Amino acid sequence: MTSFNIRHRTGAASAGRRLALAMLTACSLALSLSLCIPTASPAADKLTVYSGRSERLIKPVFDAFTAKTGIQIELLSSGTTELVNRLKAEGDRTPADLLLTNDAGSLELARGAGLLRPLNMREVERAIPSQFRAADNSWVGLSGRFWIIVYNTTMVKPGQVTSLFDLADPQWKDKIAIPNSGSEYLQAGVSVIRATHGDDKTKQFLTGLRDNAGSQVYQKSSQIVDAVAKGQVAMGIVNHYYVYRHLATQPAAPVAVLMPDQKEGGMGAIMNVTGIGITKSSTHADNAKLLIEFLVAQAGQKMFADLDKEYPLHPEVKADPALVDRKSFRAALVPLTKLAELREPTLTLIEQVGLR
Amino acid sequence: MTTLRRQLSSPLQLMAIATAGLILLPLGYVTLLAVTADPAVWSRLWATRIPELLWNTISLAGSVAVLTLILGVTTAWLVVRFDFPGRRLWEAALILPLAMPTYVLAYVYTYLLGFGGPVELAWQIWAGPQSRIVSPQSFWGTTLVMALDTFPFVYLLTRTALLSLNVSFEEVARVSGVSRMMTLWRVTLPLMRPSIAAGVALVILYVVSDFGAVSLLRYQTLTYAVFQQMTGRSDNTAASILSVLLVVLALLFLVTERWFRQRSRFYQTTGRYRAPQRIPCRWIGALSITALLGGIVAMSFGVPAYLLVKWSLSPEALAIIDSRFYGFIWNSALLAAAAATAGVLIGLPLAYLASRRPTLLNLGCLQAAYAGYVLPGPVAALAVLVLCLKLTPIFYGTVLLLIVAYVIHFLPAGLQSLEPALQQITPNLEEVARTLGLGVRDTWRRVTLPLVRNGFIVAWVLMFLQTMKELPATLLLRPVGFDTLAIRVWLEASEEYFQLAAPSALLIVLLSLPALWLLVSKDWRSA
Repeated sequence: MTSFNIRHRTGAASAGRRLALAMLTACSLALSLSLCIPTASPAADKLTVYSGRSERLIKPVFDAFTAKTGIQIELLSSGTTELVNRLKAEGDRTPADLLLTNDAGSLELARGAGLLRPLNMREVERAIPSQFRAADNSWVGLSGRFWIIVYNTTMVKPGQVTSLFDLADPQWKDKIAIPNSGSEYLQAGVSVIRATHGDDKTKQFLTGLRDNAGSQVYQKSSQIVDAVAKGQVAMGIVNHYYVYRHLATQPAAPVAVLMPDQKEGGMGAIMNVTGIGITKSSTHADNAKLLIEFLVAQAGQKMFADLDKEYPLHPEVKADPALVDRKSFRAALVPLTKLAELREPTLTLIEQVGLR
Repeated sequence: MTTLRRQLSSPLQLMAIATAGLILLPLGYVTLLAVTADPAVWSRLWATRIPELLWNTISLAGSVAVLTLILGVTTAWLVVRFDFPGRRLWEAALILPLAMPTYVLAYVYTYLLGFGGPVELAWQIWAGPQSRIVSPQSFWGTTLVMALDTFPFVYLLTRTALLSLNVSFEEVARVSGVSRMMTLWRVTLPLMRPSIAAGVALVILYVVSDFGAVSLLRYQTLTYAVFQQMTGRSDNTAASILSVLLVVLALLFLVTERWFRQRSRFYQTTGRYRAPQRIPCRWIGALSITALLGGIVAMSFGVPAYLLVKWSLSPEALAIIDSRFYGFIWNSALLAAAAATAGVLIGLPLAYLASRRPTLLNLGCLQAAYAGYVLPGPVAALAVLVLCLKLTPIFYGTVLLLIVAYVIHFLPAGLQSLEPALQQITPNLEEVARTLGLGVRDTWRRVTLPLVRNGFIVAWVLMFLQTMKELPATLLLRPVGFDTLAIRVWLEASEEYFQLAAPSALLIVLLSLPALWLLVSKDWRSA
């Protein structure tokens, strides 16, 4: 503002000065207007959740929680890694009370970065088995999801494919759909393969997968299922529940689920979890705990599982009957808590191979 | 030295420098990240991603530029120079695609041209059940969608230039015995070159920085890759390296465009202006022109709009229209209006100084402002966020932050029309007014402002429309609970709930229409 006190010699400069003054006034008006807009204000009965899950899959559960407790939930839905990055950037100033993601690796990364607070909750320890929680309960798994092969029943015969590695076979050139390299579930899946089979074999696999996929690299699992159902590709790698969601709306679609790597000595299906944690700087920790309690209790787990078609982690809650029975297949043995440390070298490998 | 000091003491000058600084800050931050990156990251990217991304981006920008050039200039030429029934209607309708976000068009075309979509089914009836049409998720599909959505930039600027073109230049050529085609080629087109170049530059910058459409069409450009790197990794080094490449690329385009424009500067003299005679059309001519224009408008607006309305009226879509939904409308309109106003106010000193006092400093400030456009939305957003937390944490989580990001990103779109508006009036006019005894203020009010007003309105409208559609920066910076219509379209559409996305998409279009109406409702010549 000091610039206005400087004297001017020429007329043009004086015109400029008036113009500038007018503009600054208008600017500050516009800015103060925008500052007046109320944004999320902290209130005692309100929780802010950063959610890496699509809104549709989580909002009904939160609405049920609000109906039960009167606690309002502000939801910010976005990509998981994006939200972790945002939390990191915001530090102490974050408005978020909870972080909900679809990937244990991201939660573990957030824990490692000191963004989450350890929890001491008996309810959680009772409801969720320890392999689905952080060591200090900084995050808690809510539901399980598996990497499966979805195939078009008119294009692939049963038994033709039994393992993820079969998808790298050149006979499937241009017949495979894969998620893009930015998706957490691809990163987690490749991490598990690396941990089980080593870098060389993983690289070979990814190279074949890349060649077979060509331009069939998708942002969303639902698009992959759709492409398989239409016969645009023969097979794809997706999280299991997208197939069931597709079948729920289009029961006649020629798609089926194949649990990969179940043979004797095989890797087992790759598992990941949806999970939640309370941020370190949350000022509503008590309410946040109430929400977690609600989600891990049998009723919450049931609702979550039915809505999402994921496998509930509470041992006494049954999965949707349409799903492959959880007892009928094996999961890969890599612990979820290792996904975070595995991620960085995995990303490097993915990039080296040149996956999109 | 004294001149420099005098220049620096002007408040207008200080504002220009401050604006340039504000815009360069995020760019500087990203560049710093990139140059301090581990060389291993650079070489890894060079070995894997960069050649493909560079080629994809450049070839897409090139093909869209050529297609929009053809579409934009042809349509402008037809509606300005020919007379046929419904001419005024088409004149307005050709601007409608500007109201249609590119990502919405991308979605609609994914449905229309997609595997097993209506167009393919129709084609298969004719060509046999196994035949395929070109996939929308391909180079040509992406080119088509981007060109259909961006050709109005070229159309708009070419049309304005054609309308304000002094026909006496052409008449002199015709009287001297030059044929009609040669007159067009050697007189008219060169006179319009600055406007056409400005339009195409706008298109190229749009294509290069677009995120929504290319991600839906899965066509890998640098911007898309930047977003993927940013949202897929917890470290932004690779994203910043790709961003810097993107900035260099866009700067190259801009320098080329500037070169085109600088080599030809024409001043409009108002006194002897006459509009050209329109060529009347016989019925066959009128019919073919109508068919051509109708086809273009249908493909770029009519059919998509019809589908959006149809989807919006489905029961699933109607169920989501509640008070929450009205909040999204309000948020979108407010943000777009605030950003457009701020953009015009901030852009004015830059454009004014560069055209009136084209010193190195002033031209530099203007160029700095253009750099904001090439900073891809997600990167601009991240830089704004980090810088805000470091410098002015009190503003964090407010709408102000979003507006800053929008202004940085869309100011060039406004400048593209502010600048020619200021350039078209010769400084002599102001000087004459002053010699004739008009005061500084009156000169501004009675001479300069009326002459540049149209350019300002166009600038405001363009920024309003673009902010309304903006996606990546809004995704990354919106305060909690402050969703816009664009965000809603994105959240629903990327989960394949296309019918649920339709009401928001339709509303973006509807809210943009009044702004567009401003663009066409006036005869822009009579300023």
